[in-house]
Amino acid sequence: MSVKPPRILPYGDSAVLVDYEVEGYSETANTHLHHAAKALRGDPVWQEIVPSYKSILCVFDLATISMESATSKIEKTLSQLPQTPKVSGKIIEIPVAYGGEFGPDMAAIKKSSGLTQSQIIDTHSGQDYRVCMMGFIPGFCFLSEIPSVLKHPRHPTPRADVPAGSVGIAGWQTGIYGLDSPGGWQIIGRTPLKLFDKTRENLFLMEAGDTIRFIPSSKAIF
Amino acid sequence: MIEVLNGGTRATIQDAGRPGYRHVGIPQSGAADKLSFALANWMAGNRWDAPAIECALGGLHLRFTESTTIALAGAEMWAQINGQNVKNFSAIPVASGDILTLSFVRDGCRAYIAISGGLKIPEFMGSASTYLPAEFGGYEGRALRAGDKLSASNRPREAPRKIPTGYTPRLSRHIVLRTRTAPEWKQLSKPSQRHLFVSPFIATPATDRMGSRLRGDRIDSGNTLSMTSSPLLPGTLQVPPDGQPILILADGHCTGGYPRVLQVIRADLWLLGQIAPGSQVSFRRCFKDDAPEILASRNSFYSGDYGGMIEGFAF
Repeated sequence: MSVKPPRILPYGDSAVLVDYEVEGYSETANTHLHHAAKALRGDPVWQEIVPSYKSILCVFDLATISMESATSKIEKTLSQLPQTPKVSGKIIEIPVAYGGEFGPDMAAIKKSSGLTQSQIIDTHSGQDYRVCMMGFIPGFCFLSEIPSVLKHPRHPTPRADVPAGSVGIAGWQTGIYGLDSPGGWQIIGRTPLKLFDKTRENLFLMEAGDTIRFIPSSKAIF
Repeated sequence: MIEVLNGGTRATIQDAGRPGYRHVGIPQSGAADKLSFALANWMAGNRWDAPAIECALGGLHLRFTESTTIALAGAEMWAQINGQNVKNFSAIPVASGDILTLSFVRDGCRAYIAISGGLKIPEFMGSASTYLPAEFGGYEGRALRAGDKLSASNRPREAPRKIPTGYTPRLSRHIVLRTRTAPEWKQLSKPSQRHLFVSPFIATPATDRMGSRLRGDRIDSGNTLSMTSSPLLPGTLQVPPDGQPILILADGHCTGGYPRVLQVIRADLWLLGQIAPGSQVSFRRCFKDDAPEILASRNSFYSGDYGGMIEGFAF
């Protein structure tokens, strides 16, 4: 399937956003995007290349390159991309204790979805998810679209403290907190796995392109 | 060696930061006010990006166990050595047994203390900068506290230097930031777009190295509770649904889900490090063609043919 060419927008004075115009989640666009990000990463002119669900942020040094040159460099890289290849990755199983003390927003999801807690758990863990982007904080993984009955907006004001391993919902997104952090997602469960561990050789448990499978588990996993 | 007698409100080790890892969720970190940081190192005779102490809000007390030279820059904190006032933005010789005390901040938020040779700190992912949320970098990944012992590296250094008249940045409790628009600017209502540039905001106590939650006229970003999470940068102004903007700082999140409405221009990013709780923050519009010129003239002022002070200084 082909992807509509992304827009290239200025982001402040020294960054450019490559923006894919998709509504909600598009696996095709996200695959194209990660491929483009990989191609861009090879050029040292970029101080940061940050791929996400539907956009890539490209940061440059305004002292050495202009906004116009940065934009045309991206246009050139995009035009040279081959046909979208498959992004392959490993499958990672994530044990999750849903609800109770680990899922303070389970009640809100029950109310908005009209489902029971066990239906919510079955629905949320009933499909595999793709890691679409890493970010926000070290180890946080943003996953592909959840079943629409579970969709729920963020908290209007972020919580001051969300524990590491918390599994949350924001709109159609689901994800896992890599560290204790402030955050606005609706928290429905928690995993004891460390998504980021500074003492581990592999600092991160996963990377963009991997597949996540949630395994409902009891509180005993903690 | 330097012994920490009192860590103060929050003092961390910082250098120029660790760029290039935002795609895995790790922000640049580094000195929140890179200009004052670079000047402190320059005065101490170091490379501009050597590890130094960043002290937020004040209260840091240090004892030196050997004679050396230190340099102070950034926020005004009534610095004293053995109870005698010493001048901010200057290099100061210290003797064994001398005690440096920083009191509560008056103007700005963060002071920098550089030591001749730079601090000797192991690097994590290519930088000595402390990143507190993930507890890595700097001194054991945490803020300094009483009993910690720091030592200077034996890197080559120059003689201490004095800042020429006119090169000292001016800090105040009113921070004015020049901005360009960010991707969701157009989602704002016209009155909200106007408010951002005409009404000042106050930095709330929720202000640290990650970000600053501001308080002011409500900014209406429309119904955007479910925006797709997208990349952020230091200097991005986000507007959550409660209408009270959040300014992203050096340790700020790499992605976020609230509309991004303004981006502080690169030449003004150093000012973000001087926003303290209670500071007044105003935003101004910077024209597209002006931004590169402002940056170029700032960089050449400090490192180019005219000033020629800080070798390689650019950010």
